[in-house]
Amino acid sequence: MSRYAKITDNIDWGLIGTTFAIIFIGLACLYSSAGESNPAIFYKQIIWILTGTLVMAVVFIIDYRVLMYSAWPLYVFVIAALILVLVFGKEISGARRWISLGPMGIQPSELAKITVIIWMGYWGETKKHIQGYGIRELIVPAFFMIIPIVLILAEPDLGTAGIVAFIALIMFLLLGIKRSTLIAFGMLFIAGMPFAWISLKEYQRVRILSFLDPSRDPLGSGYHAMQSKIAVGSGGLAGKGFLEGSQTQLRFLPEHHTDFIFSVVAEEWGFVGSSLLIVLYLILITKIISMGTKAKDRFGSMLCFGIAGYFTLHIFINIAMAVGIFPVVGVPLPFISYGGSFMLMNLICIGIILNISWRRFIF
Amino acid sequence: MSHNLTGPELEEALRWKAKMLMIFVFVLFCILLLRLVNMQIFNGSYYEGLSSNNRIRIVSINATRGKILDRNKEVLADNRPAYNLKIMPEDIRNVHDISGRLGLLLEQNNRDIIEKITQSKMRPYDPVTIARDISFDQVARIEAELFTLPGVSIDATNERDYVFKDLASHILGFLGEISRKELQRGQTREYVSGDLIGKTGIEFSCEDELRGVKGARVFEVDALGRKIKILSERPAVPGNDIVLTIDKRLQLVAKESLRSRSGAVVALVPSTGEVLVMTSSPGYDPNMFMSPMAPEAWKQISEDPLHPLENRAIRGQYPPASIFKVVVAIAGLATKTIAPQEKIFCPGDYTLGANTYRCWKTDGHGDISMVRAISESCDVYFYKLGEMLGIDRISKYASDLGFGKPTGIELRDELSGINPTRQWKQKRFGSSWKPGDTIITSIGQGYNLVTPLQVAKAMSALVNGGRLYKPSIIVSQGEHLEGELEFGKADLDIIKAGLRSVVDGELGTARHIHNPMFAVGGKTGTAQVARGYSSKLPDESDLPYHLRDHAWFFGFSPVETPEILVVAVVEHGGHGGSIAAPIVRDVIKEFYFLKGMEDEQIREDN
Repeated sequence: MSRYAKITDNIDWGLIGTTFAIIFIGLACLYSSAGESNPAIFYKQIIWILTGTLVMAVVFIIDYRVLMYSAWPLYVFVIAALILVLVFGKEISGARRWISLGPMGIQPSELAKITVIIWMGYWGETKKHIQGYGIRELIVPAFFMIIPIVLILAEPDLGTAGIVAFIALIMFLLLGIKRSTLIAFGMLFIAGMPFAWISLKEYQRVRILSFLDPSRDPLGSGYHAMQSKIAVGSGGLAGKGFLEGSQTQLRFLPEHHTDFIFSVVAEEWGFVGSSLLIVLYLILITKIISMGTKAKDRFGSMLCFGIAGYFTLHIFINIAMAVGIFPVVGVPLPFISYGGSFMLMNLICIGIILNISWRRFIF
Repeated sequence: MSHNLTGPELEEALRWKAKMLMIFVFVLFCILLLRLVNMQIFNGSYYEGLSSNNRIRIVSINATRGKILDRNKEVLADNRPAYNLKIMPEDIRNVHDISGRLGLLLEQNNRDIIEKITQSKMRPYDPVTIARDISFDQVARIEAELFTLPGVSIDATNERDYVFKDLASHILGFLGEISRKELQRGQTREYVSGDLIGKTGIEFSCEDELRGVKGARVFEVDALGRKIKILSERPAVPGNDIVLTIDKRLQLVAKESLRSRSGAVVALVPSTGEVLVMTSSPGYDPNMFMSPMAPEAWKQISEDPLHPLENRAIRGQYPPASIFKVVVAIAGLATKTIAPQEKIFCPGDYTLGANTYRCWKTDGHGDISMVRAISESCDVYFYKLGEMLGIDRISKYASDLGFGKPTGIELRDELSGINPTRQWKQKRFGSSWKPGDTIITSIGQGYNLVTPLQVAKAMSALVNGGRLYKPSIIVSQGEHLEGELEFGKADLDIIKAGLRSVVDGELGTARHIHNPMFAVGGKTGTAQVARGYSSKLPDESDLPYHLRDHAWFFGFSPVETPEILVVAVVEHGGHGGSIAAPIVRDVIKEFYFLKGMEDEQIREDN
C-alpha cells in the first residue's frame, strides 16, 4: 500500500474548503472596509494568510502527539511571553498587549488560548479518571490555568481573559467533573461575581454598564454598539452590495476591520450573506466536533473539542457584540477580522484538526 | 497503543460529550440567527431609515475648563459665557447661499466660510465651529434668522477670561485652537479640530486636569437636519481647578517694581521650593489670544524685538556675573581650598600670562577675606580663588546646585543655561580650556549662562542649609526635595555672613536697600554684555541700550531662617545694586506687610 496515496486521500478537503471559503468572505469585507483607504492593511492580511497556510501545513505534517510532549514547554513559553508583554509591551490606548517584532506585532495572549487547550488535553491524558474529577484533583490544573488568565487580565484585556477562562472551563467539563464538585464550583462562581466587578477597570465597567443602558455612554462603546446595530439592521435581506455599506464607508463604524467586521458583512450582504457565513461556521465546527469522536486517542478528541469551543466562543461573542446582545469586549471574528496573530492561530488550529483527522488512519 | 480508547464505556461517554457540545454550539448559533432575522428581516426598514440619511446626530457638550487660582484662592483664570457659531456640514445644502448670508451677519469674508464648510464635508457629521465668541448683537441677529439657516446653530459655551490681564501671563499661558500636529499626536483622541487646548504655561502643563470630560448628546433629526428628539445624553464633567503657589499680591508688587523695563523677578519659599512670584517683562495680555485675533496683532507681538511672549524667568539666559561668586565661595570653603579668614591681596588687577584682569574697584581692596570679598564683590579675590579651585571643581559645584540643567518646574520649554566644562568647550568651540577661561568664569562672566529661576533654586539651597528643592508652581502634597548638598554648617554661615554684609555692611554693594525693620542678605551682579571684562566706562548711559549691563540681585529674608528669596534681573538696566536690588527690597517689604496683616488677622481671630 502506497503511503503517498494515503496522504492525499485522507486529508479532510471539506474542512479546508470551508475554512478558505470563510477566509475569502473575510478578505472581501476587509477590502470593503479598509482596502481603498488603507491598502496596506489588506495586503498585510494576505501575507498573514499565506504565512498561516504555510504554518498550517507544517503543523499538519508533524504528528500531533508531539504537542502532548510540548505541553509544558509551550506553557512555560506562553507565561514568559505574557510577563514580557507586561514589562516591555507596546502600550496602545492604555493596555499592553503587543510585543513588537520588527514591523509586526505579536499578541502572546492569542497563543495562550491554544496553549490552554493543549495543556488541558495533556493533563487529561496523564490523569485519566473515568468517574470524573473531584476538587482535590482539580486544584493543580486550576492553579496552572489561573496564572495566564491573571496575566492577561493585567494587560488589561478582559475579552481575551474571559475567553481563556471559558476555554479552560469547557475543557474541564469535557474531561469530566464529579457532579458534587460541579455544583460547588457553580455556587462559588456566583458568590465571586461582586468581587470580579470590583476588580474591573473603570472603562471595562463603563462598557458593561453601557451595554445594559446604552444611553450612559453615547459617544463611547454605546455609540459603537448603536452604529453597529444600525449597520447590521440596515443590511436587510439582500444587503446594500459590495462597497456600498454607508455605515462602513462613511466611517460611522469604528474598528470596522477588526472587532466590528461582522457589521460589514451584514450591511453589505444582508441576511443572505450573514446567515451564509454563520452556516459556514456551523459546518466547520460540526466537522471539528465529529472529528473529536473519531480521533484515535483521548488527547486528539480533547484537542478537537477544545478547538471547537475556541472557535464557537469567538464567533458567538463577536457576532453577538455586533448585533447588540453582548457588551463590547473586543473579541475578533475567526478567519475574518484583521490581525496577524489571530489569523495565524486560527490556521494552526485547522492544521491540528487536519493532523488528527489524517493520523487516525495510520497505525 | 497504551492510551487508545477502545472501551465501549469510554466511547459512549465521548459521544455523549460531543453531543452536549454540539447542542451548546447549536443553541448559540440559533440565538445569532434569530437575532439576525429579527434585525435584518423584520426590522430592516427601521434601521434602513436610521442609516439612509443617517438621522442620528451626535453633538459633544464642552466641559467647563477648571479655573486657575493663586495660593489665596484668588481666581487668576476664569470662564465667561460666550457664543460660538457652528454648522453641521451634512445639513448644509447650499454652501454659497449660507456662507454669503453668514458672511454678512458675522461681518466676515465669506470665502473663509466657504473654505471651512467645504473642508468639513470630508467628515459630514462632525460639527464645525465657523466663528468663535461672537457678540451678543450678532447672536441676536443670527437667532432671528436661524430658521432659514438649516445646519447652522449657536452654541453657548465658555471662553477663558484672564482676570488680571498681563499680571501673570507667562505663568498662566493661553489657549488656542488645536493644531493639526496636536490632533495627530496619539494621546489626544478626546479632541476634535476647533477645540481649544493649552498652548503654554499652566494651561499647557495642566491641560489634562483643567480640560474635564466632554459630554455628548445624541439626537434624531429629520431630513432637513431639524432636531426631532434627544435619544441620549451624557453630561460633561467640568475640569479641576488648579491652585498655584503664586501670591497674586506679591506678583503685583514685583511687576510694578519692574515697571516697563525688560527683565524678570522670581520669588521662592527657600524651605519648600514654592514659587511665590514669577513675572517677566515685557508681558502681554493673554485675553487677546482668546478673541479671534487679527493676524496683525499676532504678528506684532511675535515679532516684537523685546519678545514679550518669552518667559524670561525660565527662558532668559544671562551671564550670572557676581552672583556666581557665591558658588565659587562655597566651592572654595567646601573643598578647603581656602579658609574663611584667609586673606588675599587685591591690588586692583590680576595678571595671568599676557592678560590683565581688572577688579571693578581700580585702586584695589587691599588685604581681603571671604566675608568682605562677598560683601564688596571683590573680583581679584575670586580670580585667585577660582584659579586655585580650577574649572572642574567650580563646574561640579555649579552643577550640584542645578546650573546647566532645567530646574524641573511644571512649565514647558524651560532653558538650561550653560555650566561650562572642559568637555563643553571642546565640543562647542573645538578648543581646550584655557586658564583665562577659569578666571572669568569665577566672576560669572565666562561662558556661563543662567536663568533667574536657576539662581533662585541654587541660592535657596545655600541659604536653607543645603537642601535643593525643585521649584514648584502648583500646590500639591508632594515633596520637591531633589537632594541634600553636603555643605558644612560653618561654611554656609560664612556665606550667609557675607551675603548679609552685602546689604548691611559699610561698603556692601547693596547697602542702600538696608532697612532696619528687616534683615536682608543677598548678592548683586552686574553682567557685562559686551564681551570681555574691562573696567567700567564713566557713565553707563553713554552706551547704546543693547550694550548696557544686565542688573542682577538676589535677596532673602530673614537671614537666619529665610522665608522668602527673591531674584530680580533687569536687562540692560545698569548696576545690580542700584537697579535690581530695590525691586527685591520692594517684594520682601510687601511680603512682611502681608505677613503682618495675616498675623494681625490671626490675633483678632483668637
